[in-house]
Amino acid sequence: MKKVISIIIDHKEIQLEAGETVLQAALRMGKEIPTMCYYEGLETHTSCMMCMVKDAKTGTLFASCSKPAEEGMDIITKDEEIIEARKTALELLLSDHVGDCEAPCQLSCPAHMNIPRMNRLLAEGKTQEAYEVVMQDIPLPSVLGRICPAPCEKACKRKEIDTAVSICLLKRYAGDFGKIESQNHRVAESPIPQIAIIGSGPAGLTAAYYLRKRGYQVKIFEKEVRLGGELRHPDLHEKLPAEVLDREIDVILNTGIQVQFGVDADLAFIEGLQDEFAAVVVATSVPKFEVRSSKFKNQDIRVFPIQSAKLAIQAVARGKNAAFEVDQFLKGENVTGEPKRFNSRFGKLLEPEFAEYLKESNDLDRLEPEVLANGFSSDQVKAEAARCLHCDCRKLDNCKLRDYSDEYAASQRRYFSIHDRQLVTKNIQQDVVIYEPAKCIKCGICVRITSKYKEKYGFTFIGRGFDVQIQIPFGESIAKGLQKTAKEVAKACPTGAISDPTRIK
Amino acid sequence: MELNLRDLDHIIADLGKGTEQVIPILQAIQLKYNFLPEEALRYICDNTNITAEQITGVGSFYSQFRMEPAGEHIIKVCVGTACHVKGAGLIHDAIIRELNLEGARLTDERGMYTLEKVSCLGCCTIAPVVQIDQVTYGHVAPDQVGKVIKDFEENKKSDKKGLFRKADGSEIAGEIRIGLGSCCVASGSDEIRDAVQDVVDTKHLPVKLKHVGCVGMCHQVPLVEVIPVNGDVTLYAKVKPEDVSKIVNRHFAPPGLLNRWGDKLMNLAGWIQDDSNWDGIDRYSIDYRDKPVSAFLGKQVPIATEHRGVINPLDLAEYKSKSGFLALKKALKEMTPEEVINEVRNSGTRGRGGAGFSTGTKWELAARAEGEIKYLICNGDEGDPGAFMDRMLMESYPYRMLEGILIAAYATGIHQGYVYLRAEYPLAVTRIKKAVEILKEEGLIGDNILDSGFSFDLRIYEGAGAFVCGEETALMASIEGKRGFPKARPPYPVEKGLFGNPTLVNNVETFSVIPFIIRSGADRFNSIGTETSKGTKVFALAGKVARGGLIEVPMGISIREIVEEIGGGVPGGKKFKAVQIGGPSGGCIPAELADAPIDFESLKELGAMMGSGGMVVLDEDDCMVDIAHYFLSFTQNESCGKCTFCRVGTKRMLDILDRLTSGKAKKGDLEELENLADWTKKGSLCGLGKSAPNPILSTLRYFREEYEAHLNGNCPTGKCAELIEYHITDDCIGCTLCAQKCPVNAIPFDPHNKHIINTDLCIKCDTCRIVCPEEAIIKR
Repeated sequence: MKKVISIIIDHKEIQLEAGETVLQAALRMGKEIPTMCYYEGLETHTSCMMCMVKDAKTGTLFASCSKPAEEGMDIITKDEEIIEARKTALELLLSDHVGDCEAPCQLSCPAHMNIPRMNRLLAEGKTQEAYEVVMQDIPLPSVLGRICPAPCEKACKRKEIDTAVSICLLKRYAGDFGKIESQNHRVAESPIPQIAIIGSGPAGLTAAYYLRKRGYQVKIFEKEVRLGGELRHPDLHEKLPAEVLDREIDVILNTGIQVQFGVDADLAFIEGLQDEFAAVVVATSVPKFEVRSSKFKNQDIRVFPIQSAKLAIQAVARGKNAAFEVDQFLKGENVTGEPKRFNSRFGKLLEPEFAEYLKESNDLDRLEPEVLANGFSSDQVKAEAARCLHCDCRKLDNCKLRDYSDEYAASQRRYFSIHDRQLVTKNIQQDVVIYEPAKCIKCGICVRITSKYKEKYGFTFIGRGFDVQIQIPFGESIAKGLQKTAKEVAKACPTGAISDPTRIK
Repeated sequence: MELNLRDLDHIIADLGKGTEQVIPILQAIQLKYNFLPEEALRYICDNTNITAEQITGVGSFYSQFRMEPAGEHIIKVCVGTACHVKGAGLIHDAIIRELNLEGARLTDERGMYTLEKVSCLGCCTIAPVVQIDQVTYGHVAPDQVGKVIKDFEENKKSDKKGLFRKADGSEIAGEIRIGLGSCCVASGSDEIRDAVQDVVDTKHLPVKLKHVGCVGMCHQVPLVEVIPVNGDVTLYAKVKPEDVSKIVNRHFAPPGLLNRWGDKLMNLAGWIQDDSNWDGIDRYSIDYRDKPVSAFLGKQVPIATEHRGVINPLDLAEYKSKSGFLALKKALKEMTPEEVINEVRNSGTRGRGGAGFSTGTKWELAARAEGEIKYLICNGDEGDPGAFMDRMLMESYPYRMLEGILIAAYATGIHQGYVYLRAEYPLAVTRIKKAVEILKEEGLIGDNILDSGFSFDLRIYEGAGAFVCGEETALMASIEGKRGFPKARPPYPVEKGLFGNPTLVNNVETFSVIPFIIRSGADRFNSIGTETSKGTKVFALAGKVARGGLIEVPMGISIREIVEEIGGGVPGGKKFKAVQIGGPSGGCIPAELADAPIDFESLKELGAMMGSGGMVVLDEDDCMVDIAHYFLSFTQNESCGKCTFCRVGTKRMLDILDRLTSGKAKKGDLEELENLADWTKKGSLCGLGKSAPNPILSTLRYFREEYEAHLNGNCPTGKCAELIEYHITDDCIGCTLCAQKCPVNAIPFDPHNKHIINTDLCIKCDTCRIVCPEEAIIKR
């Protein structure tokens, strides 16, 4: 029987068996301590230093994963200094983490649309699924596919190699051909709460759509006799035929949105809505500060003014954001709008990296539709969509580095130098793993796993210091190195350095 | 390439198949093939327990190992601290030019030479140093590298024969002592020894030839000391082989033949302090009793270096005749292990490896540690780029250290141990190996030592080039055949060390003071020193000091006494600026604070640390930002890469220092540097990372204005090449020397007219400034 000792963690005493580490004890108490190089079932490596805690007696910080608990220890697991330490560790790791989380196109799209995923689906001929991906962020794909100036294409990494992927036309195709089966996706009715939307331009329509999709009762108040606002501007007539716009507005309305035409909403009108509606989204050109500064008798209701935008895609983005705000408000959460996540970025590709990125793409030139007004043919769509380099990370939603960078508000730019960064390489072994060394944080989990399972050519550390690399010995293939452990290694890697080659579609 | 598998089978048969043998096996392979051929490594994996992961991981961790074939000869440029401050970087660049090396290629096109940097060859007093294979060149200047290579090639051809015949000791007219420390050997004492032997043999002189270890006067090597039975002792410094017969004749030749040479040699005595550049090899003689030399030895207290210059390193009888092994005898026969530990504790001695933990306490913990097997390790992995104390102690007094080890083993009840030696110290390796062999033959290592019933076995382990292995947990990982990754402590080695067993780790110097303590008593030892730091400390004094070398001083002596009295001050009329103590873990103490007494605590307070005992004197020409940059590049390069703060933190600090020394710094860089230094100190896993920021923090503390100047694009000392330009003043006499020496033809040949430097072509190699007889070339 092992000796029982007692230690104090965050002012609470805990009994444990001698030999247990401080980390194990703290986790058992339900403490949240971030770890990246720690992996259950492997010996500790003490590399990432995220699990640092403080010895309350001496004030010194230490890695809790490898420190055996000792009788009488007094440990603090979180305070300002510890947070700063973890943040600094993250920032140092990020300074040598060369890779994009979300793709640059998605980040430069005001509506934050998941472009790479749409591209992958279109390349596979899955138009309907691609359409659904677009609709998660842009409810007017056919419209935007005709009038958007496509900031995404300016950020497209393919542009650095030759020319940008024709994202906007691809989206148009998804909108034009994907929606046919899904026009009547009505949402289950729910009696309350009711939300009023003033104005039916792209912002109002978008806010209405996303609130309705969340199950709210939505009513649009429109001054004119038709919906669409600025989208009906005569300048747009040539590019944007009325029937295209009407069709997409119908899709939105078909979710079960009520409309009242001919309402010229002023402040008094808005004030009058408070008895019937739980929230009001003002998506007209009523000056924002007037709305903000007006007082409403009923303190429970809130007005959400949307700033007018120059570009339709910005209006869409703001409408979507307002939907987030309203939803958060009605749920009693902090009103912060669409959540913004940490995104690792590294800037422009360097020439030696072109070939690496083209490994997941084709080498075609950018395609143009035979007649612009008709858009791409289905064959063209597949080929053009396949030009996408798939810059987005495969571990967007299960990367510890990203999660902690969010949690600790780490800044990558603090120590990152675009002039002196490592080159991106992609070692793609279909059906095994994809290894992108430039994303590696040298935690050594993969080395320990392959060693534990006695892989003949398991991962090893090559070199030392800042230049240390994780490699398969003797330049053997990854497939040879990961005969038994590919799945576990890909899952265990705390970043996107080693990932499962199958993409989330 | 074609491998002879039988060679590999022999290696495996010799060294065994265990995973812990990986480093010795790699060393054997490299010795055979001059690099590590992949086929050989694969063969080893297939025929031993060593895995592919282990062999490639370990092979790529240690800098000794090469994965690519190297040239026929290896040129090592020492970039240790002393060499750095004397321009090693310029030498390195000059060799790159000389060999036409481009980009990352470090072997010349003929495959003749491979250029390597080495962090310290331990010849700091003859800096800057270049070593080609076994030949060492000191005081090299950038424009001389061609000569050095030529000299090497000429000597290579003339296969000199050495005469080894033992001198007849029956009719001694005197004794000739030849220094055989590394500095002496490096400066050619082997040739001198052969020449002396030659003269003695041909003339049948009744003179005893004796080899002695380092006397600590490394600035004047090679040394020949003549001790006639009648007459005064004379010490000749910087002796050339061609001087030998004259020297010998002067003292031992029949009267009448006393020649005129002696006087000439004496007349040259005035030159000896001159730290002149190597040009050919200039060597001069001095009289032992000359004043400066007495001062040099004056304030020193030899304990670890007892009988310096008298003892032949491997002569066991002589060591014994000078009280050698009396302490071991006393411990084994008259004292219990507890009594030995008490004596050591009462002496107040603290670990000389750097951290200064009480040796007695550590031994007590080791004695109490429970475990069937316990190990002792002597840490001889001295890797500090400005320190060579341990090397000299091992080379010159191997028995003393071994005696200390035996006493420690007895006191702690340990029966097996390792001496871990740094790969870059081949002479120390040879000496210690030989000494252990002799002690085994004599029964002083092995079973039932001196009939006491106590047994102890000792093995030698050669490191493979990794500074971090001086850290005890990394050192143990290395012996276990792993990459030198440190581990978090606790558990400390005395609880759970080598192969998971309790392990006592002490440094070379610590073991070397033990015999004195046991023999003379704790009180003798603790009467020397300060309140908290007892006894003496050995320092390697180098840099901008007239007399560099190994010194042993009482704790509490002031920095100024060392620099000015023992070291003879800063040469060339330059101003004493600071002392760097403790190497990459230490800091710079400014001249204003040089009256501070030296002990563990005071150095720490001043922002430095005892470290291993490197002491590099800096003068007004040294840029403190450059010094910080120098140490950071060292630690950054030596970081094992395990923990985030050290691996990336040191790199990011170096990025900032790079910007500062190249004029690209931006606002806020100093604050960010301090911030990173602070976090790297707090967040790193082991001592290397935790102390890596010290050189930055101490220079920021005392020389912040220099950092600020760099922030504005100025280097006040003109050391940072990217911030300066070379110009010729009106003092130019048009002698064309600079134009002749300029390696890139940036100075047009224009006799009798004032020369002009084309700053677009200039590579700032400093050659013109050095050769100018009128000091007409300035940096600004």
